[in-house]
Amino acid sequence: MDVLANLGHGFFVALQPLNLFWCFAGVFLGTVVGVMPGLGPAATIAMLLPLTFKMPPTSALIMLAGIYYGAKYGGSTTAILLNVPGESASVVTCLDGYQMARKGRAGAALGIAAIASFIAGTVGVVALMLVAPPLAKFGLAFSSPEYFALMFLGLAMVVLLAGESLVKALLAMLVGLWIAGMGIDLFSDASRFTFGNSEMLDGVDFVIVAIGVFALSEVFANMEQREEGTVLPVPKGLRNLLPTMAELKACRFAFLNGSVVGFIIGVLPGAGSTIASFISYGIEKAVSKHPEKFGTGVPEGVAAPEGANNSETGGALVPLLTLGIPGSGTTAILLAAFVLWGLKPGPLMIQDNPELFWGLVASMYVGNVMLLVLNLPLIPLFAQILKLPVYILYPIILGISLVGVYTVSGSLFDCYMLAAFGLLGYLMRRLDYPSAPLILGLVLGDSMERALRQSLMMSQGDLSILVSRPISATMLGLAVLLLIMPLFRKFNSWRVRAIEENG
Amino acid sequence: MKSWFMKGDVVSGAVLAALGVYIISEARQWNYSGPEGPGPGFFPLWYGIAMVILSIWMVVVSAVRPVAAGAKINWRGVGQALLVWLVFAVCTALLKPLGFLTVLALLTLFIVGVMYGKSLKIACAAAAGNALGFYLLFSLALNVGLPVGPLGF
Amino acid sequence: MKLRTSIIMAACAAALAAAPAWAQFKPTKPVEIVVHTGPGGGADVLARFMTQLIEKENLAPVRFQVNNRDGGGGLRAMAYVAEKKGDTHTIAVFTGNWLTNPLIRSEAKFTVKDMLPVARLVLEPAVIAVKADSPFKTLKEFIDAAKKTPGSLKQSGGSQTSRDNVVRQLLMKETGANWAYISFPGGGERIAALLGGHVNMMVIEPQEAGEHIKAGGMRVIAQVADKRLAAYPNIPTIKEAGFDIPNVPQVRGIVMPAGVAPDVVAYYEDLFQRMVRTPTWRKYLDEQQFEDGFQKSAELSKFFDTFTDQMRVILKEAGTPVVR
Repeated sequence: MDVLANLGHGFFVALQPLNLFWCFAGVFLGTVVGVMPGLGPAATIAMLLPLTFKMPPTSALIMLAGIYYGAKYGGSTTAILLNVPGESASVVTCLDGYQMARKGRAGAALGIAAIASFIAGTVGVVALMLVAPPLAKFGLAFSSPEYFALMFLGLAMVVLLAGESLVKALLAMLVGLWIAGMGIDLFSDASRFTFGNSEMLDGVDFVIVAIGVFALSEVFANMEQREEGTVLPVPKGLRNLLPTMAELKACRFAFLNGSVVGFIIGVLPGAGSTIASFISYGIEKAVSKHPEKFGTGVPEGVAAPEGANNSETGGALVPLLTLGIPGSGTTAILLAAFVLWGLKPGPLMIQDNPELFWGLVASMYVGNVMLLVLNLPLIPLFAQILKLPVYILYPIILGISLVGVYTVSGSLFDCYMLAAFGLLGYLMRRLDYPSAPLILGLVLGDSMERALRQSLMMSQGDLSILVSRPISATMLGLAVLLLIMPLFRKFNSWRVRAIEENG
Repeated sequence: MKSWFMKGDVVSGAVLAALGVYIISEARQWNYSGPEGPGPGFFPLWYGIAMVILSIWMVVVSAVRPVAAGAKINWRGVGQALLVWLVFAVCTALLKPLGFLTVLALLTLFIVGVMYGKSLKIACAAAAGNALGFYLLFSLALNVGLPVGPLGF
Repeated sequence: MKLRTSIIMAACAAALAAAPAWAQFKPTKPVEIVVHTGPGGGADVLARFMTQLIEKENLAPVRFQVNNRDGGGGLRAMAYVAEKKGDTHTIAVFTGNWLTNPLIRSEAKFTVKDMLPVARLVLEPAVIAVKADSPFKTLKEFIDAAKKTPGSLKQSGGSQTSRDNVVRQLLMKETGANWAYISFPGGGERIAALLGGHVNMMVIEPQEAGEHIKAGGMRVIAQVADKRLAAYPNIPTIKEAGFDIPNVPQVRGIVMPAGVAPDVVAYYEDLFQRMVRTPTWRKYLDEQQFEDGFQKSAELSKFFDTFTDQMRVILKEAGTPVVR
């Protein structure tokens, strides 16, 4: 019962009025920057770092962590309402969230996102508290072949994201791989597809493509019709703004799926929340009784990725706190903060600073409750934005897209690229190419190439390294299964048709 | 008679095939494998090849497929969408000389006044309101540094 | 202690006496410190520590604030600084990357020659670490094993131009041994690969290794430093271990845009000289296990030349195409 005693002590720390205040400040700020596209938690934490030097490290960590998981709550808001992903992991939420909003269920989608975030966020903390050390060891067992298999499994999800034509989905994915490959090659320092432009050396930021392909193309496509009035129906009454029991019930498995997948992928230092949300969306669709409805606004399609995104926080803190290894951009800044506070991040940190660790864990329980209480009343408020006439709403979407892209790195070149990707997104839409596979290829391409090349370097060119290890072999097997599934289905329908025509 | 999206498939397939050929030709300039293992040309070569095969497959299939009637393209609509895109692209180019808020106001003016044919009064009000809203929210409340024009906004 | 105080006082007196020579320039608005990494990167942490120190010790009349211009392996920050020609309120933290990257990138528009050197601040040594249960007790054992089975041993590290790989190239050339170098984008992944037993060796910052050694996950077999670090008194440097290769420290310091008057450079040079004399700075160096690498502008300018020439030779020998 060591854990309980420790947790009790942690709550003692977290519930001190001062720490409660900092926790609230953190989650509130986090929600705000999460709602604003482009302004990520990483930039916000960096901005606030100087302030934290005057605070005790525990309070500071409680606040900064609050920003980190608070931003993930807020990230879904613009994704659902405007089809503008607020942060990279929310891109999957756009797929079904925005469609729900179009059907007049914007409030429900926001509610489900908040509830999924709450459940998964809490599960993530529980898991962080109970299994952090053994799980960190599991994370270490993951090496390049396993990462390759994980990315490959992710790419195989393309068959689940494909619309009518699998060939078009695959082509869109390949274009995503191409965009992901732009920039400096880590292994050889060669610059690829940069067109001699130094702005391209870092490749194309994911947010630019996602906003261009999702949000801008939506606006351009709507310009064809120029409908008057409001774009999206917003039902009256608080009741209609919240999810129904039936919708929540449909999400039961999605809550669990998102929590588990998000946490496990979060533990791996080489994967991130965007991958987690894609994979949990894929799993949700694969096991669903009505997979064909995904992408048309099903609540599970919101709950799974949002859950995965939020429980990833707990997962990502595992390697950071138990080994001193940051898994993502935001945790890397937390690591730097530890150094600046005079703490020594590393495998002994929990032992040396139990108050810090257990205070943080307890504050995350408190913070998650605060976020739910903070976010649910905001839903009707946010949904009001859809009542604006379209001719006002579209310029706002364009403006937010520009700000979102510009704040990523303060480069005007990124804004020019945004225009280019807006055009690409519109053309894809017109020609019936699905956009999700493009994003999938973009997210996974870089890490997949890297993992593959690392694996082959480790094995001196022997491909069998990919299948001779149990974890990677299992995941590759699953991926192959996913890939050949539609072939069977196609064959089957073809056979049925042949029989019908003969008969 | 050919329906537009079938032609679209042929054209886009051809464009993608060309992109695939370009990727392969670039990839061939980089090492396929180096002393340490697979080189920078390794991965692009393979996805380039996959792209060429898939796009040619798509061109062939959609060229021989019998044309389904229906779905006529609304060229006027496409023209309007592309016009808005063009204006947006010009606006991004103007960010540097004019600053964000001015550009946003112009963009709003265009969409409200030209695309939706509202009166000049409404369009101007929307433009000013939008710019002011962005200024209050991003520049003032969130302290986001946006591109600034010569007049300081 | 007493001696040190008197030295400091003497230095202050000297500085005061010299005051009229540089007193013309004083910053009048917040000074921007440009760094080429995102928040949390090595240069960023150093810059943030310095802003804090300058404020706490009241070393300057204005605030200093960090500006992250990450991207392009430092080229973006370099272009940003070079294009600020004549700006007296911008300085930047440079690292070895600023010197090596323009050598291999045709996209680079600027080199450090397009900026003014202000001061060199730290030299960061490194250690060579293996997993705690590794069979290799010394660097020699590792290299002998690498000779026996060429290419089968592995080292995790960063990009081709990083110090990790330069040390490897130099060692391989010196001994004729051969082992693989596996690049990982993040420091965390490099350590995870070693702790997970997926690679055999890595070059790591001494402070970072310290925590893993205490926890029993890692062991150090050699130091990449001119003389033994205080924290590792029993571990030989590479030279002491019998391998005669030049020492490659990671260097960090301050540059500023060209086109400013000499008194401006002199002001910042003096500011950092005062900064490196504070006890807080000393303590920071000790904690981080950095070496004091302070050099003034003129010496730094010479250092740029020798370092660039050295890197050009090393890169060429490693087979990396050099463009300038």
